[in-house]
Amino acid sequence: MEELFAPPSYEWKRLSPKYRSMRQLTSLVVPPILLTIPAVIVGVASGRWWTAGLIWAAAIVIAIVRFGFVGRSWRSWGYVEREDDLYITHGVMFRSLIAVPYGRMQLVEVESGPLERAFGLATVTLKTASPETGARIPGLSPEEATRLRDRLTELGEAHASGL
Amino acid sequence: MTASQQPPHTSAADPAVTTEGPPPVPTARPFKQTERPHPLTPFVRGWLVFVALAIGWGREIVTNAGDDQITAGGLTWILPILGIVVVLAAITGFVAWYFTRFVIDDEELRIETGAIFKKSTKIPFERLQSVDIIQPLAARIFGLAELRLDAGNSSTKLRYLSRSKASRLRDYLLTRAHGQQASIRDLDQQAAASVFTDLGITDQPLVKVSQQRLILSFLLSSEWLIPATITIIIVVTTAAFGVVPLALGGLIPLLIGMVSLIWRRVIGMFNFTLAESPRGLRITRGLTNLTSQSVPINRIQGVKVSQPLLWKFLGWHRVDVDILGYAHGDSENNESNASSVLLPVATLEEVELAIGRVLPGFDLDAIELHPSPRRARWVRWFDFWTLRYGWDDRTLITEHGWFTHVRDIVPHAKTQSVRIEQGPLQRQLRLADVGVHTPRGPVNAVAHQLDEQTARELALSQLDRARAARAAERQRRAIEQVRTDDHQGDALLAAFGTGRDQLLGSGGESEVFAIDHDRVLRLYRSRHEAPRRTAAQLQPLYQSWAGCDIGLELPMIFESGERNGRFFTVDRRLSGRNFSGWLQHADMAQRRPALISFLDATERLQQLPSPVPGFARLIGDDAPQQFGTLVELLSSMLRGPLQSSRTQLERDIAGVAEVWNRLHGDLAQRSVVPAMVHGDVCPPNAYLSQGPEGPVVTGMADFSPHTVHADPLLDVAGALIFLELEPYADAAADAAWLEAVAVERHGHEIVRWIDVYRRFYGFYFSNAYAFDSRLYAWCLRQLSR
Repeated sequence: MEELFAPPSYEWKRLSPKYRSMRQLTSLVVPPILLTIPAVIVGVASGRWWTAGLIWAAAIVIAIVRFGFVGRSWRSWGYVEREDDLYITHGVMFRSLIAVPYGRMQLVEVESGPLERAFGLATVTLKTASPETGARIPGLSPEEATRLRDRLTELGEAHASGL
Repeated sequence: MTASQQPPHTSAADPAVTTEGPPPVPTARPFKQTERPHPLTPFVRGWLVFVALAIGWGREIVTNAGDDQITAGGLTWILPILGIVVVLAAITGFVAWYFTRFVIDDEELRIETGAIFKKSTKIPFERLQSVDIIQPLAARIFGLAELRLDAGNSSTKLRYLSRSKASRLRDYLLTRAHGQQASIRDLDQQAAASVFTDLGITDQPLVKVSQQRLILSFLLSSEWLIPATITIIIVVTTAAFGVVPLALGGLIPLLIGMVSLIWRRVIGMFNFTLAESPRGLRITRGLTNLTSQSVPINRIQGVKVSQPLLWKFLGWHRVDVDILGYAHGDSENNESNASSVLLPVATLEEVELAIGRVLPGFDLDAIELHPSPRRARWVRWFDFWTLRYGWDDRTLITEHGWFTHVRDIVPHAKTQSVRIEQGPLQRQLRLADVGVHTPRGPVNAVAHQLDEQTARELALSQLDRARAARAAERQRRAIEQVRTDDHQGDALLAAFGTGRDQLLGSGGESEVFAIDHDRVLRLYRSRHEAPRRTAAQLQPLYQSWAGCDIGLELPMIFESGERNGRFFTVDRRLSGRNFSGWLQHADMAQRRPALISFLDATERLQQLPSPVPGFARLIGDDAPQQFGTLVELLSSMLRGPLQSSRTQLERDIAGVAEVWNRLHGDLAQRSVVPAMVHGDVCPPNAYLSQGPEGPVVTGMADFSPHTVHADPLLDVAGALIFLELEPYADAAADAAWLEAVAVERHGHEIVRWIDVYRRFYGFYFSNAYAFDSRLYAWCLRQLSR
């Protein structure tokens, strides 16, 4: 099973544990916040506040379930720099493995949102000429993200080939 | 089926020719004459306003004739507004036209626009990717056409020009875009294209789609039948209950969609012709707006052949292509925009003909297709029996669908990335999808529902195939580049009064042509900075040797410069003939004394003074660069080549690390006083003249980045071992013989050092694996000794 997504004779590099903490936080906080508005609207509109309570309860359940999955989702991420290409794998239910040849990279971006910055994380995105590529590695430490960006840019130049 | 419905192409009797202004007179063309587009441009651009005016005016006459004073009175207040709008439109149109100027001549392509904010667009000819001609109905009536220039990701419009001028400019620009020299004057005499198809006389139609076939195929296509059937069902059911108005909310968007479909698929594809022109494929199409579009074959990233269910009985197919940069925005198959349709409807033979042009040598039937395993039916119950994939050494094919059968073809060289995906149900069934990504466009190659093991093999092997194809593509481009360079080189040669027939010799970096008895023109191949810097460093080095007589002619650089994008130097011509060429025809009795003089010359080079003391690199980055020891210098020399050849060497030689360490260990033991080392003492760099006792080596050329101040034995060893590379039968025997001579001169201990330097040169030239397999094989032999 695991072999399908394993890189040939390499070890996956994993994401920073801080990414797991960040996802645990968001999974707990976001559903109750998102569902509060509909809960309040329903409560005010119908006057039956127990329906609002039900929506809230659902939010709590979603948050707990998501929280339970964070660890597995975090463990499912992996990337490895091979000689000629970069492999990225992720997904628990829907698994995927993407291989991007260095010669095809057009752009390497490092992004870090406010929340990511608070956790000391950054996301690296690789763009090729194909919109389907969608190669993205979240949850990297800023040093690793910059290193990866510089390394990939360098490799991209070395392997560059016309379209 | 493909019988033409159009009148035969006429050129002289073509009405388009007579409606335009007088043809430009070549002799009257002054320097940098900028031109304005055709004076009718503002009228055509204001077309819609004119139509509105005409309708309003027409209605006024009608109502006046019908003596209805109230309606006419109601119109009177609309008319001034209309008038103002028309005048404003005319003024903007005129201003835009007045301030638009363009230059298309032998030197440049420049378009200037803007009254207040001036904008000047200059497009280098080589950057042009396609040049399309578009004729909206209004422009067509006036015999005008728009020229659309695609370069990079931007598209520049030049509107409007007379039709024949637009097509002449298109031909000229495409010629220049292909890197060929042409003068715009040569094209002025060319015949104009036909009014109906815009095909030039030189265009050879490959496939024509008749109106009947286009319309029938459209009526039978799934994209038409589905909305049509839904509409009928809705209308019938609602009519049965007498509630048609209720369904309008759904019907109106459906109808709008259907009209737009007719517009794109029928009106836009009317008179579709795929033709072969001297500049590649060309598509012309359109009923009202005539579009003539060139298909840049090298930018095609993938091909999609699809067949709606009902077309199967007629044997028809549709071909779309991914063209890099064409699918920007969502103007997918817009009538006037560049489209990704290669053939809207075609028979299998026509499809194969077209694909043969787009992917040369590709044979749809030759590729063995593998079906997905039976258990795929649990996931893809609706089309599991149609799922197939296959590949050959150049392309990957995937197939799926029965309602519309789709085949996606992706050349390995165009693969962007590869993805394996697996959902929960697929995991239970041990199935996975493999997607091969191409740039934005209709092609979406996914091999659905493969066995896990097969999926993994396909994905990994596809990466290997893509890598190999990219490498082959790079090589092909390099060769093409050389061809273009040759072309530009010819002009340069002519400027110096020489030509290809005066070629004296050619090496990896440059070619040398005779100018006269004393001078040669050295034309560098590379477009990089390196030859410039090398020449700049060699010039003072040669000058410093001008006064020292070592009994050898040495090179000089008189002049250097750049013309037509090629760097060149004018060098001293060494007397005599090239030693390498002479060796091939000389017999042994002549060769042996000449080889001894070659060894003498090599040893004499050591007497040349160095600009810096100690071990040093004299040419190259940061040169002169000094080193404390011989090992440090030689390691620094090996660093560059090894960087690129290391992986290759590890693959080809089992214990290459051991060889490397042994070389360094040996070199560390060598103690020597540094002297001038040419670095590449080989017969092609030596010149031979007739001496009193037969031919002797009298000149040594081509000092280079290999030139260092180091162990003089490097050159002696080089002279012996590079001789093995000479392409004559007894070269190896001569090399062994010359080695014996050298050993006799310098003592037996040099045998060991010659062996060490064999390994050094083996590493030093090992980056030859990328461009010279013979030299690389020689390197491997040196390293395996």
